[in-house]
Amino acid sequence: MATENNPLVALSNAMAEAVERASAFTVLVDARRRMPASGIAYATNLVLTADHIIEREDEIQVLLPDGSQAQASIAGRDSGNDLALLRLKNSGLVPAETAPQLARVGQLALAVGRPSSEGVQASLGVVSAIGGPVRTGQGGLLEQYLRTDTVPYPGFSGGPLIDSSGRVLGLNTSGLAQGVALTIPAPLAWKIAETLAKHGNVRRGYLGIRSQPVDLAATQRQALSREQHVGLLLVGVEDDSPASKSGLLVGDILVSLDGEPITDPDQLLARLIGEIVGKPTPVEILRGGQRQTIPVTIGERK
Amino acid sequence: MIELTTSLAEATAEVVRRVQRSLVVLHNGHHGVGAGIIWGSNQANKKRSGTLILTNYHVIAHGRHLRAELEDGTEHPARLLAQVPEIDLALLEIERDNLPAMMIADSHSLRVGELVLAIGHPWGQRSAVTAGLVSGLSTAQTRDPQKSIEIIRSDVNLAPGNSGGPLVNANGAVVGINTMILGGDQAIAVPSHVASAFVEGALKGD
Repeated sequence: MATENNPLVALSNAMAEAVERASAFTVLVDARRRMPASGIAYATNLVLTADHIIEREDEIQVLLPDGSQAQASIAGRDSGNDLALLRLKNSGLVPAETAPQLARVGQLALAVGRPSSEGVQASLGVVSAIGGPVRTGQGGLLEQYLRTDTVPYPGFSGGPLIDSSGRVLGLNTSGLAQGVALTIPAPLAWKIAETLAKHGNVRRGYLGIRSQPVDLAATQRQALSREQHVGLLLVGVEDDSPASKSGLLVGDILVSLDGEPITDPDQLLARLIGEIVGKPTPVEILRGGQRQTIPVTIGERK
Repeated sequence: MIELTTSLAEATAEVVRRVQRSLVVLHNGHHGVGAGIIWGSNQANKKRSGTLILTNYHVIAHGRHLRAELEDGTEHPARLLAQVPEIDLALLEIERDNLPAMMIADSHSLRVGELVLAIGHPWGQRSAVTAGLVSGLSTAQTRDPQKSIEIIRSDVNLAPGNSGGPLVNANGAVVGINTMILGGDQAIAVPSHVASAFVEGALKGD
């Protein structure tokens, strides 16, 4: 088979080009005693990496794709999601491009890292599963994660999982689940990075309710005019909480927050992270069989 | 999309078939086997027609009765022409001609991310194929601390019996000789340009 018609050669070239593209935004982060790990250029002077690889707060060194060294300081940390944002003194990074769509199971994916000055390394696999929310070892709650069968080589934590065009599907880390390699999906990682850049930490929202999932009856689904089978029954509302101030009552069934259907308490908790804190947010409930939307200003959990 | 995956599968199968024809099983008189690459005919040998076989040094080291088993099942005694333990390569010759030589690529132009296939005899399983990519290009120190050699890292799955076998690119051309397994999930290959230089030197009598 001639080279120009061989789809295997085309695939091989596409993968090598994807790695080359990723190498332009994949950096080495040296902030621990043992071997360095990786990071992703988030902005021209910001690097997103895994929080667990930051073992010291000063003398953090970043090796850029062009081979130059840069000093970095911590712009923000979120140990619950194992993410950290580093700020370089000088700008000059080429920010990574994220994939336009969320990863799909079965999709070809490459894990890329820069564990040494010898250049980037890569590993091939597919997206094996998409899961979450999951409680992490650090007391956090990861809204969503990807599993892949790429090999997490030493020093790959903080580096990107890319698609076959070299766009970022997520950030790889072995620090979330007892050493098991997971990937934080790019939309989530970027959302957290945005919060870290602004506030230095991740703000966790607070409603002041206790809830449990309940099945919705056919008439309740009809009232919603959508196929949602589960909602959260409020079994407690704290005094002086954002929930009580906006008039939420025990017995209400919470069915969506900010336009997104909620079917699980962990999912609600995950939705309350980040920029939503302090904002008036529409909370959709079923009360007496009727659908109502009540604006609630999300409080901050201290 | 179905068409694409079908043509990918067909292209892979064709590459594998072509490489398998030029792959030998090496027996060294002990348990276990290694792999060898039909490198070409020995032009340096004017007296008789012989075929060159490249493998790892560690496959033939300590071996007494080296035999190469061809794809057709025939076995031929192999003679050791040259060996360099530092880069784990050895060159053998068998007295057969008109055997199909493997295509050799120039590994200087290899890039991280390129698709590669490893073909060998893991745990004695004949001509088994594993796929992956070039995961890194780096150097490793030899036993002599003054010297280092270039190596190809790949994420193909290897097992004993892959040693001496080829790591080929999407065209089916050899880019490396599979040599070592690190921790089960990282394979080390000697680049084909290092192997070509070794063979050239060996035939000149260097």
